[in-house]
Amino acid sequence: MTASNTAATAPPTPDYFSVFALPRKLWIEMAALEQKFLQLSWKLHPDNFVNASETERELSLKRSSELNDAYRTLCDPVARVEYLLAIEGARKEGEHKQQAPPELLEEVFELNESLDELRDAKSEGGDLTALKARLESAQKNFQQKLEEVDAELFAVAKHWDATVEVEASGTNPHAEREAIKQRLNELLNGRSYIRNLVANVQKELL
Amino acid sequence: MSKRSSCSAGRLLLSPAVFTMSRIVGIDLGTTNSLVAYIDPQTNEPKCIPGPYGSTLCPSVVSLDADGSVIVGEAAKRRLLTQPERTIYSVKRLMGRGSADVQSELKLFPFRIDPNSKNVIRVQLGDKYFTPPEISAFILRELKNWAEAALGEKVERAVVTVPAYFNDAQRQATKDAGKIADLEIVRLVNEPTAAALAYGLHEKQRGHVAVYDLGGGTFDISVLKLISTSEGDIYQVLATNGDTHLGGDDIDNLLQSLVREKIRQEHGVDISTKPEVAQELRKALIAAKHQLSTESNVDIRFPLPNGAVFATAISREHFDNLIRPIVDRTMAPVKAALADAKLTPAQIEEVVLVGGTTRTPLIRSTVREFFGRAPHTELNPDEVVALGAAVQANILERGVSNMLLLDVTPLSLGIETYGGAVSKIIPRNSTIPASAQEQYTTGVDNQTGIDIHVLQGERELAKDCRSLARFTLKTVPAPAGLPRIEVKFLIDASGILQVSAKDLRTGEEHSIEVQPSYGIGDAEIERMLEDSIEYAEQDFAERQLIEARTESESILAATLKGLATPDAAGLSAEERGKIEASAAVLREAVAGTDYKLARKRIDELNHATEHLAELLMNSAVSSALQGRKLAEV
Repeated sequence: MTASNTAATAPPTPDYFSVFALPRKLWIEMAALEQKFLQLSWKLHPDNFVNASETERELSLKRSSELNDAYRTLCDPVARVEYLLAIEGARKEGEHKQQAPPELLEEVFELNESLDELRDAKSEGGDLTALKARLESAQKNFQQKLEEVDAELFAVAKHWDATVEVEASGTNPHAEREAIKQRLNELLNGRSYIRNLVANVQKELL
Repeated sequence: MSKRSSCSAGRLLLSPAVFTMSRIVGIDLGTTNSLVAYIDPQTNEPKCIPGPYGSTLCPSVVSLDADGSVIVGEAAKRRLLTQPERTIYSVKRLMGRGSADVQSELKLFPFRIDPNSKNVIRVQLGDKYFTPPEISAFILRELKNWAEAALGEKVERAVVTVPAYFNDAQRQATKDAGKIADLEIVRLVNEPTAAALAYGLHEKQRGHVAVYDLGGGTFDISVLKLISTSEGDIYQVLATNGDTHLGGDDIDNLLQSLVREKIRQEHGVDISTKPEVAQELRKALIAAKHQLSTESNVDIRFPLPNGAVFATAISREHFDNLIRPIVDRTMAPVKAALADAKLTPAQIEEVVLVGGTTRTPLIRSTVREFFGRAPHTELNPDEVVALGAAVQANILERGVSNMLLLDVTPLSLGIETYGGAVSKIIPRNSTIPASAQEQYTTGVDNQTGIDIHVLQGERELAKDCRSLARFTLKTVPAPAGLPRIEVKFLIDASGILQVSAKDLRTGEEHSIEVQPSYGIGDAEIERMLEDSIEYAEQDFAERQLIEARTESESILAATLKGLATPDAAGLSAEERGKIEASAAVLREAVAGTDYKLARKRIDELNHATEHLAELLMNSAVSSALQGRKLAEV
């Protein structure tokens, strides 16, 4: 996913939250979002402008594509966090590499070793049963870790939302918010690393 | 993919236009048959328009006559048997494809591809070459004529349906066909979505609907959510999947391979070297396939060029086993679409079958078993897509409506990154229009350009995805990293990609030269349009009359010949009298200029000679020719 970029000279593109007149909070009521999406679709969809002037047709195309891009991003809880971090300047393009969470380094190392052994055994035609069992249990373990990351992501997101409410009441929780953004970023990086790892294991186990 | 000028971001109030413009018809440009439909103002219901032969189905067959004129539809389909080298069917399979893509098709389809084809293939008809969009344009022109004749007004705009799983190049090729036919395609609509529109209007059903669409050459599965809101009904596509090279044609080809091989073994005759015989066999096997939808066994008797008669029987069970791999191939996309829609089969409230191939019992039972419910079959599977296209055409024509269609892009859009990998920028099943922006800069000092490769597909490597276009962003000499260019990729409501670029330092539009991988340039389209007008110059009515005359000649000759055989003794005096009277009025009709009357008289004579044809067929040699008209005996 890439953030929309606004050059100084170009008119600013509305961010995805403001498309739906929402505050930049991570918890979104999905039924209400869907309803708003459908309402705006009625208004903006190019179907309504087939007989209109070219300028209007172009504008409808632009606005309805922005609406769909916004809805697609906000519907996906992880993409939503990524997007928020991007518009908050906390997640720059090219920076979001997959990163092994430091506390998991040892287990990751072991898993990669088992993966290599399985590949070797496969090419040499050795017995795979024991190796596969080991990998399956490691996979389960990492699946568990993924759930833990998601749980923390959820907790930190709630924390973020609280700071948005505090800000609305006039306080400036700047330092706190910077820390939250950093943690969210780490969690996302760790999450995509683990997901990739699990996917690799799955591929080898097939 | 088309290059787009950027839109001005003026503060314009979006107000739907209220004035109405010319009529928009709905067209189903199918692999086997094409149809045109409109909204009947009397009933406010969509309706298919019949052609001069009385049928609403226009066979998607094009034939180039020796005199240089082009024949489309039923008459062209008949020429498949007499002039196969001047006639083409199933051209939809070639739309938007390069010559490397179609090698596998060439083994099974009698396409004669120009060996000098570049990125757009050209097909030989007689002594001339045509691109697939040009051939499709002939079909569009024919349907336009049907509509103009029926509605009594000029028809200049259409909604045309395409398989949901068509990629950008295939969609672009369809749009090109419209340009060449001088018909403005205001929107491409996905076939299963169009079917859902017609279905929803008919059934007033709401909830999750799966549309299983197996046509002559393509397979689509779409999962939709039908929502009622205070403003009206929304048809939201949640996911779509499919295979643009899977359909009834494949069943025909399996049957042909099987029977050709049997003929080779039993009679030592190789059909594949005899195009006329091959077309006769294809026709007989398609008839057998249709028969197997209702019967448990079918006898095939086929006269061979050496005078022998090949005979075989195919049981439903044997047929089912033969086609099971094809039916199974449809189920992987069905599962993928459901997974993308995050639904289980049990959560689908209604299943709709579309496309003539879904008349096959094995398909019906497989779908019923998978979803655990009986699929809807009450709408005519041949017409439902065209009817839906007419509904969408009406929505667009009126500008404001109580129905809204939200469709998706079937394939992920990506760009090639370092090392030949693909970075996905618009995921599959995104609601369209959809867009993505990417920023680019230079990697070394004074770099003069940045190469961009746009792809479509789900695979991880560029070489496994469909190449849509390559272009170079030109940059002025500057230190590395200084130029900043933003490229905007936008998929419009027809599922076609538009690309524009902006220099972020100046804020100005950045010019790009897009080289579509499988596209036709604007100048070439213009030339094709001119050629196409030339081919179409012969007046529609005049051409119909010529065709009716040719056909009446052959049926009159066959009638005379038939009456002179000993078999004709089986006719009653009354029957004989009726045949002679019908022949006389037909001769009279073709001497005049009313092609509709001539056509009517042909049908009458065909009807009057049914018993004679039967008698002829019953005699020994022709037992293989059941179900044919006298003129074909």
